[in-house]
Amino acid sequence: MVNLIKKELALCMHPTAFIFLSFAALVFVPNYPYEVIFFFSCLSVFFCCMMTRENGDIAFSCALPVKKEHIPLAKMLVVIGLQCIILLLVGIIGAVKGAVLPAEQYVNQAGISANIVLVGNGAILLGIFNLIFFPRYFKKPDKIGVPFVIGATVVFLLICLFIILRWATPLYSITLNGLNTVNTGAKAAALIIGFVVYIMLSAISCKLSMKYFQRVDL
Amino acid sequence: MNALEVKELTKVYPEFTLDKVSFCVPQGHISGLIGRNGAGKSTTIKGILWLIAAEGDVAVFGRDIIKDEMAVKQMIGYVGGGFRYYPMNTLAAIRKAYAPFYPTWNQGKYEKFLAQFALSERKKVKELSEGMKVKFALALALSHGAKLLIMDEPTSGLDPLSREEFCDIILQLVRDEGVSVLFSTHITSDLMRIADDIVYISRGKILAACPLKELLDQYKLAHFSSLADAMATNAIGVKSVKDGYEGLLSCDMQRLNGTLSDATIDNIIVHLEKANAEERYG
Repeated sequence: MVNLIKKELALCMHPTAFIFLSFAALVFVPNYPYEVIFFFSCLSVFFCCMMTRENGDIAFSCALPVKKEHIPLAKMLVVIGLQCIILLLVGIIGAVKGAVLPAEQYVNQAGISANIVLVGNGAILLGIFNLIFFPRYFKKPDKIGVPFVIGATVVFLLICLFIILRWATPLYSITLNGLNTVNTGAKAAALIIGFVVYIMLSAISCKLSMKYFQRVDL
Repeated sequence: MNALEVKELTKVYPEFTLDKVSFCVPQGHISGLIGRNGAGKSTTIKGILWLIAAEGDVAVFGRDIIKDEMAVKQMIGYVGGGFRYYPMNTLAAIRKAYAPFYPTWNQGKYEKFLAQFALSERKKVKELSEGMKVKFALALALSHGAKLLIMDEPTSGLDPLSREEFCDIILQLVRDEGVSVLFSTHITSDLMRIADDIVYISRGKILAACPLKELLDQYKLAHFSSLADAMATNAIGVKSVKDGYEGLLSCDMQRLNGTLSDATIDNIIVHLEKANAEERYG
């Protein structure tokens, strides 16, 4: 598995996978729907899968001395690693923003503030994308467009939902909004719920992807 | 012991069926997989390597590929039609990612092959000619101590000298290291030179799986001056040629109204395929 992951990193990563990590800095943009940052993470997955296809990587990997089911698992573990990095970066850069900017500038007029609830929301978005995209992709690894369009559409609808919640519900507009130092318990709970959802959905996605990939004809 | 045993390998596609393909490659033998385009050679190889979800049993040195996937694949060196992977990467980058999968990787041997094939690791795959790509695939497959080489048309795209070189390398591996080989090809002169056994596949079914000599001894090529003579002899797959008619005669056929010569693999394939087509379409 370690060798497969190393191969993924050496031969299958599209530069955007790393470039889009820097988009975590978008939390410094005033009044921006910060959940969009996580969409770029999804987009980099799409580019990496394109690169996998153009490189004939899956056929190459299947001939290696590895279990066939480990091939989707390795690809997903790399993506999960990158997703964890972007979540971490958003959390850290959001915290830095909270520390260096005055409280009134920290408030986001376009959605939720760059706090740990945003990280929880991002985890839910990425978990749902993983669940939608990967099982469909590993059923037919040559067909990347349709799984991505479905996944991206759902992610955008959820982003809209989070923005609506920010304006329509006191829970999101007051309790879970603003600096991490206010209502820390509630915000930490939202973060934990986000991560639990992410872990569950990604685990289901891995299981389904491994199952479907066994039946793939190359 | 058999290096490879394939039992009732079956794969059903909407327009093609690989139909209970069974054959074996004895240890230390070179087996040629032959058949016309679309006969099922590549599907058979993909089924053996489990690149497609096929039914049936595949055992390598007695170990089932599904139960012992990783161990079995360690023993296999696979060469596709060419090296179609990672066009933008250098050979060095690919080797660095590939070698750690094989604890038996022999870097010295790999470098020897690179020198022999005049390959530079600094080149990108897209900069290689088709023949060089095959050579790179061979260098990778031959450098990890594979006990069984499975190759899908490895010599297509190679010039005559490189093909000769390829045949020499394969023969040397078989003689010195006891490697067993299964390779598909359309270039029957390569088979005549190095193959011990032939697996002949037609429309997804095995028509012959036997030693090459046995197959060649089984038929004679008969030349007839008229179609009536050919028909009277019950020649197989009679076809018109420049100065008469040609057909295959099974060696047990006694009646003959024409001249006989030894049949080549090409003759056998051409006439058997013609006979099959006539049987199907009338």
